[in-house]
Amino acid sequence: MERTGTEERARREGLAGGVEGFNERARRALADPELHDSIALFTRKTLKGRAARLAELPDAPELRERAYHIKQETMANLDRYLGQMADAVEARGGRVFFARTGEDVVRYVGELAREKGAKVITKSKSMATEEIELNRRLEEEYGELGLEVVETDLGEWIAQLAGDAPSHIVAPIMHMNRHQIARVLSRVAGEPLPPDVRALAGFARRRLREKFLAADIGISGANFGVAETGTVCLVTNEGNGRLVTSVPPVHVVVMGIEKLVPRFEDLEVFVQLLARNGTGQKLTVYTSFITGPRQEGELDGPEEFHLILMDNGRSKLLGTEFEEALYCIRCGSCLNVCPVYRQTGGHAYGSTYSGPIGAVITPLLKGDREAKDLPHASSLCGACWETCPVGIPLHDLLLKLRNRQVEEGLAGKAQEIAFKGFEEAVERPALYRAGARLGRAAQRPLVRDGSLRRLPPPLSGWTDFRDLPPLAERSFRELWREGID
Amino acid sequence: MRREEFLESIRHRTRYGRYQPTKAPDASWTPREGRGRVEIGDPPSRFLEELEALGGHGRRAEGWEEARDYVVELAREAGARLLVRWDVEELERLGADGPLRKAGVEVAVWRDLGDFREVAGRADIGLSTAEWAIAETGSLVLESGPGKGRTVAILPPVYVAVVPAERVVGTVSEAIRMYAGRGSLPQNLCFHTGPSRSGDIEQSLATGVHGPGEVHVVLVG
Repeated sequence: MERTGTEERARREGLAGGVEGFNERARRALADPELHDSIALFTRKTLKGRAARLAELPDAPELRERAYHIKQETMANLDRYLGQMADAVEARGGRVFFARTGEDVVRYVGELAREKGAKVITKSKSMATEEIELNRRLEEEYGELGLEVVETDLGEWIAQLAGDAPSHIVAPIMHMNRHQIARVLSRVAGEPLPPDVRALAGFARRRLREKFLAADIGISGANFGVAETGTVCLVTNEGNGRLVTSVPPVHVVVMGIEKLVPRFEDLEVFVQLLARNGTGQKLTVYTSFITGPRQEGELDGPEEFHLILMDNGRSKLLGTEFEEALYCIRCGSCLNVCPVYRQTGGHAYGSTYSGPIGAVITPLLKGDREAKDLPHASSLCGACWETCPVGIPLHDLLLKLRNRQVEEGLAGKAQEIAFKGFEEAVERPALYRAGARLGRAAQRPLVRDGSLRRLPPPLSGWTDFRDLPPLAERSFRELWREGID
Repeated sequence: MRREEFLESIRHRTRYGRYQPTKAPDASWTPREGRGRVEIGDPPSRFLEELEALGGHGRRAEGWEEARDYVVELAREAGARLLVRWDVEELERLGADGPLRKAGVEVAVWRDLGDFREVAGRADIGLSTAEWAIAETGSLVLESGPGKGRTVAILPPVYVAVVPAERVVGTVSEAIRMYAGRGSLPQNLCFHTGPSRSGDIEQSLATGVHGPGEVHVVLVG
């Protein structure tokens, strides 16, 4: 099925223009069988690999428990560990910048590019820079520098060329098939490229290699930062991360403050959990540990190393009931198991982070009003919690977010009245019994094939997206009174 | 933003937040059967197995001569014109420079290079040794340093490492612990595990997208 230009534009607008409208986008995604097949292919394959890789590890449950406790300790002392990391980076000759917002990051990078007279910036995949839309803002706010900012992860590069946003933390262009990709790359090549994986990857290698060698600045994210040594740990499979951090004379790291771990030995836990859970690998092809700029007598590697520690709303979760959302290592496992994500894909969420973790952190970072739909884009089945390699109770956090919406009066009048009514009824048995009898009578014309498919407003809010089991013909209390056979 | 101000606001939140999470995962929930440490019988053979499974090429050589022949033969087969290598003792011992030049392959040693980009970017083969190798995952542990260029192992399309067999350690945990608590880390430490790979296009495996698509490791001894 071809996606029309209008649809494509609408998808982009959904992403750029706030995150409302989950239901509408989800409905469109559900009508796209190709998208559904792509998601199924990826999630099944990854979950199978994940299960096999975890089964090989006799101490996988202990690693998960250790990971949780390491993160808990980190967050309780985050100020101290951040200070320690900054000191360690500076002791190795690196520079550290504390950025409160995304805007602070954009300005730091923009001014650095101006100072260096930079023309080409290569980037390795980074969710933190996606979150703040660094590429777009650099090009807009520093237009006079004529910067060319190039994503170098194959998937991210194709997404950038297509003007699309990543739809999965680990597999950014899972939503595109090779025919669509061939069209995007043919436009760049100026000649038709066949929809063949080898040919397309070969073209990408040749084209991006020029950029790697020409880059003035390399920008990466950080999978982990080590407070003790000032080390940034970065994992990639293609090798683009290693090129971005080894070839250009300047390396800039944009790291969310929650990516910290206290000690180098803690990485023993995290690099294994990330690879095995995220992609079903024993270890990512290139697992790099980078500490400061190049040393005396070295011929390659960056002469300058800049570490940007970015808050952008994260610190307001510290010490609150939502703190565990900061433990996330961005492996994508909760997306892969989520019955909602598996139906809708990442773009339906309309935010940088999708799936259960996206539904939790998007309202927390952007505000409840901005992302009202997302905490409801879940069946609360808890598969996300079960699979999370650091044990974040995602379903609990989603429920807490829904609760917060009610407290802030964002939940809508109908829901409030319904729950008030329910509260009254359960306190008065006679009223409850009368209500149940009334409900049974009222539902009769609406039951089809044993379930309620469509309720009249305001209850239609429920049945628009779900079927409801009807009230039993006779209640448990009635059966009990009569004696159960 | 000023460091003190930034850290102070974080300190304030961590000190005055009252919430204590209660849902910590508990490993004792999981049945204990067969749990323990990863056992690796013969680390060098396991390393070669793992590397092959990733699509790399592994070889156990009895001595340095055999390793040298492997490297020279590889360069000849690949039709290489330029090989770039680390400037380290192990590769002096390998003594492949002479035979390579005789076979018509130019050899660039990682010292006194003008622009490393020009050399490493043009090379057909990169040659290095490794500090350690990890049996559990088929990984090489590469340290940067004088004479040990990062790009030797990442820019050329073919990469070969010659590593003494006694440097193969068991697990990833062991390798990380060797660096934990060490005073000073190399600027770039890399666990390099098989050929460069991408599954970004329809989850079909594409090798050599950015890094080398062909990886050879010769274990010596």
